[in-house]
Parts: sequence; structure tokens; C-alpha cells
Amino acid sequence: MAVLTAPTRRRRATRVPPVVLAFVLLPLLAEGFFVFWPAIQGFYLSLTDWNGVSAPTFVGLANYREMFGDGVFGKAFLDTVLWLVLFGGLSIVLGLGAALLLQQERRGIGFYRAALFLPVVFSLVATALVWQAMYQPDGLINQALRGLGLGSWAHPWLADQSTALYAVIVPALWREIGYVMVLYLAGLKGIDPMLYEAAKVDGASRAQQFRYVTLPQLSSVNAVVISVIVIDSLRSFDVVWALTRGGPYHSSELLSTYMYSTAFQSLRLGYGSALAVVIFILAFGVIVSYLVRAFREAD
Amino acid sequence: MIATPPSRRTFLAGAGAVTATALLSGCVTSGSGSGKGQSAKGPVTLQSNLSSPQAKSAMEKLVAAYGKKGGPGAKLNTVASETFRTQLPTYLTSANPPDVLTWYPGSVADTYAKQGLLLDISDIWSGPDLSTYSDAQKKLCTDSRGKKVFVPTDYYWWGVFYRKSHFKKWGVTEPKTWDEFLTVCETIKGHKVASIGLGAGNGTTWVASSWFDYLDIRINGAQYHRDLLAGKHRFDDPQVHKVFDRWSEALPYFDPNGTALAFQDATTALLQGRTGMMLIGTFFADAAPKDALDDIDFFRFPIIDPKVPAAEEGPTDGYFASAHTPHAGEVKNFMSYLATVEAQEIYLKGSSGTSIPVNPKAKDSGTPLVKKGRALIENAADVTQFFNRDSSDALQPSADTALTHFLSKPKDIASILTTWQRDAQKIWSQ
Repeated sequence: MAVLTAPTRRRRATRVPPVVLAFVLLPLLAEGFFVFWPAIQGFYLSLTDWNGVSAPTFVGLANYREMFGDGVFGKAFLDTVLWLVLFGGLSIVLGLGAALLLQQERRGIGFYRAALFLPVVFSLVATALVWQAMYQPDGLINQALRGLGLGSWAHPWLADQSTALYAVIVPALWREIGYVMVLYLAGLKGIDPMLYEAAKVDGASRAQQFRYVTLPQLSSVNAVVISVIVIDSLRSFDVVWALTRGGPYHSSELLSTYMYSTAFQSLRLGYGSALAVVIFILAFGVIVSYLVRAFREAD
Repeated sequence: MIATPPSRRTFLAGAGAVTATALLSGCVTSGSGSGKGQSAKGPVTLQSNLSSPQAKSAMEKLVAAYGKKGGPGAKLNTVASETFRTQLPTYLTSANPPDVLTWYPGSVADTYAKQGLLLDISDIWSGPDLSTYSDAQKKLCTDSRGKKVFVPTDYYWWGVFYRKSHFKKWGVTEPKTWDEFLTVCETIKGHKVASIGLGAGNGTTWVASSWFDYLDIRINGAQYHRDLLAGKHRFDDPQVHKVFDRWSEALPYFDPNGTALAFQDATTALLQGRTGMMLIGTFFADAAPKDALDDIDFFRFPIIDPKVPAAEEGPTDGYFASAHTPHAGEVKNFMSYLATVEAQEIYLKGSSGTSIPVNPKAKDSGTPLVKKGRALIENAADVTQFFNRDSSDALQPSADTALTHFLSKPKDIASILTTWQRDAQKIWSQ
């Protein structure tokens, strides 16, 4: 610290003030040590075979080659894509829908906004536990179905391989919609009301106003929402792990849960790291390509 | 912020905060990564995964009692069991490891012993307590090079549990053989009750392995079972197919919610009479209401082939020590104490009442259930541990996947076993 605060009278005009340097370098150092360094180690581990006990042995790209023949990896990959499409798509559509419904200031609107936003505040693991109780064979959902005379629909939702993945998406969506809604609400507030008036004068219908005014004006918010959703989909782990652990027999396996179980249950840390690298590349690739396109359009 | 440069004081405060944060997070990271090792002079550190409130306080009493013996004493560090499980390799390989750790004997301990990570404690096994332990325990605590690496302290047993009053109501008695067992299942099913509860859902999928273990040791014998789990046989062997042929005979009597309920909910269903019987370990009784406990009884898993000696599952718990401990003498002293009647009775009194001390002279809780369980294990021809303990935690997920798949699609068994063998091969080959 003494070095940083030392007087720098000469060449003061051309140099970046040490204060600014310190504010940049210190966090960078911390970030580098606690984030980048482990991340680089992760890349290295993905090229090794390591059980966590003995020393890792270097195997080159063997872990990546193994993925091509690994049926579970294929399943987890497709499930992750399905998750991205369903979870991502539905949370955008429903979040935007909720924002449009709740944007006008009416009496009691705050209550509905708060109610939709509330799940965001809960820990996802706590959310999962509540849903787990509801999905139980004698839980709320099956009892409601029986009460409605739909007893034949009652079902061990999480234990059946044909419903497990969808049963897990619902609580994740329940939470994400509120979050996306808030982002869109902020975006909608930023749209100049003059634009709508001008559109009305030109005789635009409600649908046309939405298509030609609202949507283009939300494009900057879309960039944020899509980044958030892609990241959230690819790191969706807690809710799946708490509800099904990727089971029954890999039917709700995502790349993230497969990575965890490979690395920390099967103790194949090399292959687990390779899976983590794939997740990283996917997230990074999707977001960068979207942002590049978004910026190009903005220019 | 750049437009209006901060004053010197604000800067110092800010820089101080940044440094403090970095230092704090540094402490946390380095502290959680390795065990809380001590210098050669301090007390023996005991890293424990017994984190349930009852077991934790029993451990505290045990350590306090050892402290009164004089000497450096011991220091207890309790870690949540899931964290402990995933961090155990890190504890053992760290430069400054905890001295003594709770874990399992047999194949699991041997994995670490082969890496040279466990302290050789063969000399304390000739002490007054450990030398009186059963031959089965001696074998269990010896690693593949013939060295003793483990001190066993208590075990529990598995059996087919039921409520006496319900069996009376349905007019059935304890079956001894597989055919009698199927007849009992049929009778209970006739009363519109799911005959067999399972409890292999909601995070306790591993419970299904008990059925695989027992069928395998009844059909192919305990030694075949251990060899299979060690990778000396294949899961797509015709002998393993036989296990699933038998299991298929009982499948129609299984509770259809067997893979949807955790074992805690499945045992509740058993106690409430929604299921008839359940193959489960005694740990379930810890949470059972006291009045129901007097009504609970169990029978030995039915005999399938009378020529195969009847082995039982009796998972044993205890301690091993790190090979890198700087004060091996004190560690051995503490481990000898853990083997005594006094230490085991202190722990059992404080913890739940259903485990059995390994020391033959130590008293158990004395209930009829525990007496019957102790007799079951002491008269067993061989004692196995449990799927994960006879193989490794790494192999357990492959079993969970295969067995839940079998339970919902029993006809696919051929492809399930091929996949299981392929998954297991990846674990064995590391």
C-alpha cells in the first residue's frame, strides 16, 4: 500500500492516477487468483485422468473423444438443449406476457407484481423442496387430480422417466418468469409514450403497435434477458439435483448434473472437467454470438 | 468516480476494505481445503462425519471423556456428511491432514491404504481390546497388504422389517425360504396392501442396492458378490442375470411408488400399514415413533439356495488415521481408546439405540430387537458391508441407474446389465 500511495509528481499529467490503478489491479488480482487460476486448472484437468487421490495422468484429448461414444453425454446434451429451448423460450414468452399485463398502473397491481416476483427471492433449493412435496405420490398435485376426478392422471411425477424432466422444468420456470418479468417491466417503462401516440395517429392496431413499437424498443433488454437465460439454463443444477439428481436412470440428466455426478460421485475428475469445459464453451459461444449480432444490428 | 477523484481518506478506506476482503476470502479458502491439522504437540484431531445432532453430541461426550484421561486429548471437528464424503480424498492427501477420520473398513479403506494414505496400526490390534474382536472384524480391517488400518466401533444390520400386529391381522408368519416369502407376499397382496415397500426415490436411490446385494449373496454367495463389486466378474455374467430372474419373481409385489418415495416416507408407509414388509437397515428406527417401535420385528432375508452359506449385511463404522500424521504415538493411543468398552458404550448411549458395539464385551441397548440383530450378525457365515462399502462410492451411481431402470423396465434387463458393466468398467479402470 505504501508503494501505491507514494507521491508521483513527475509525469502526473500522462499517468493514470494510482488510485484508479489500485482499484483496477487489486480486484483483478483477487479475481485472477480465485477465479481465473482455478478455471485454467480446470482446462488442464480436462486433459488428464484423475481420481482425486493419486496424481493426475495426462491423457491428451481422450476425455473429449470419450464424449462421442458416451450415450449419457448425448442424452444430457439433448436434455440441455431441450431445457434451453423450453425453459428459455417459455420464460421469455411468459415473462414478457406478464410484464405487458402488469405494466399499466392499476389498483392492486403491485400485489400481482410482488406475487410473481416472490419466487425469485426464495433459494432454489428451498423451492425445489416445496415442489418435491407437491410431486409426491400422495402430494398436492396428485390429490388435486384425484379430487377433480382425474385420478387416472395421478402419477409419480419425478420417478417416471417420461415426466421427470418436465416436472423439474416447472419449478425452475416458476422462478425465472418473475425475474424476466421485472427486466421487461423496466424495459417497457423506458419506451417513450410518444411513439405509441404517433402509431395510434397512423392507425396502427394493438398488434401492430406491439410488433413495430414495443418489440424493437425492447431489443436492448432482449440482449440482457437472453444472456441471463442462457447462463441460467446452462448452470441449472440445484433444482434438478434437489429434485431428481438427474434420474431416474439419466432421464432428467443435464450437462451440469452429469458433470457433478461424474466428477464428485464417480470421482472421474478429468472427464468431469472436460464436461465443464464443454458447458463453458456452450455458454460462452451462445452469448458471444448473440451479442456480436446484437451489436452489429445496433450499428 | 473517475471524474471526481476520491480523497486520500476514502481511498485508504477503500483499499483497506479490498485488502481485508481478499485476506478474509483467502483464509476461508485455505481453511476449508485442508483438514485442521495440528502441530506434533497438540491434541489429536478427529474429523467426524457424524453430523446429526444426536450423534454429534455423543461424539462430543466421547472426546471429552478421552480428554479426562490426561495426555494431549483430542479435538473434534464435525463436518456435514455429504461434504465429508466429497472432501475425504482432499483431507487425506493434504499436506496437513486431520489425524483420525470416521469412515468405513473393507474395500473402501483398502482403496486409500493402497495409495499409502493410511496409518499402519497393526501394533495396537494386539492390545487388550482389539485382540478380542471377531475374526470377521479382523479380516475386515486388514488391507490388501496384510496391515491393519482400521478400528471398527459399531455396526448395524439389514433385515426384512414388519409390524407384528399387521402380520397377525393378515394371518402370516415370518417366511424362512424364498417360496414361503412369495406366498406371504401373495397373501398380503390379497388384503389390498402393497406387500413390499422399497424407498428408493427422492435422493435415497441407493436403498435399492440392498435388494441386489441380498439376492446376490443368497444366490451366488458373499465371496462372488465381493469379487463382482471389485471388478473380478462382469455385471453381464449369467450369474448376475439369475439375481434379476429371482428379483422379477418378487417385482409384482413391490409398492408401485417404490422408486418415488425416499426411505423415510417408505418406512412411514410400512408403519402405517400401507405396505407389508420392507428390506431396510436399522437406522430407519431412529425416526420411528416409540409406540410403533415395540411392534416392529424383522426376519432374515429368505434363503434361496440352501447350499449357499447365509451371509448378512452388517455395515460397520469406525475410524482410520492419516499416514501423514506428525504424532503417530498419540493417534494410536486415541484409537486404542476408541476400541474400548468404555468408549463404545459412551457413544452408543448418546447416539440412537439401534447400532451394536463391535467390542464383544460392550453392552448394547438391550432391546429385544437389538438382541435379535446382534445374534443375526454373530451367527452369520459371512458379513458383507453394503454395495458402496464393498465397492466404492464411485460405483454406487452406476448401480442406482441400473436398478431404477430395472425396477421400471424389467424386460430390458439384458441391455441394462451391458450398460452397467460398461459404466462400472470406467470406474474400475481408474
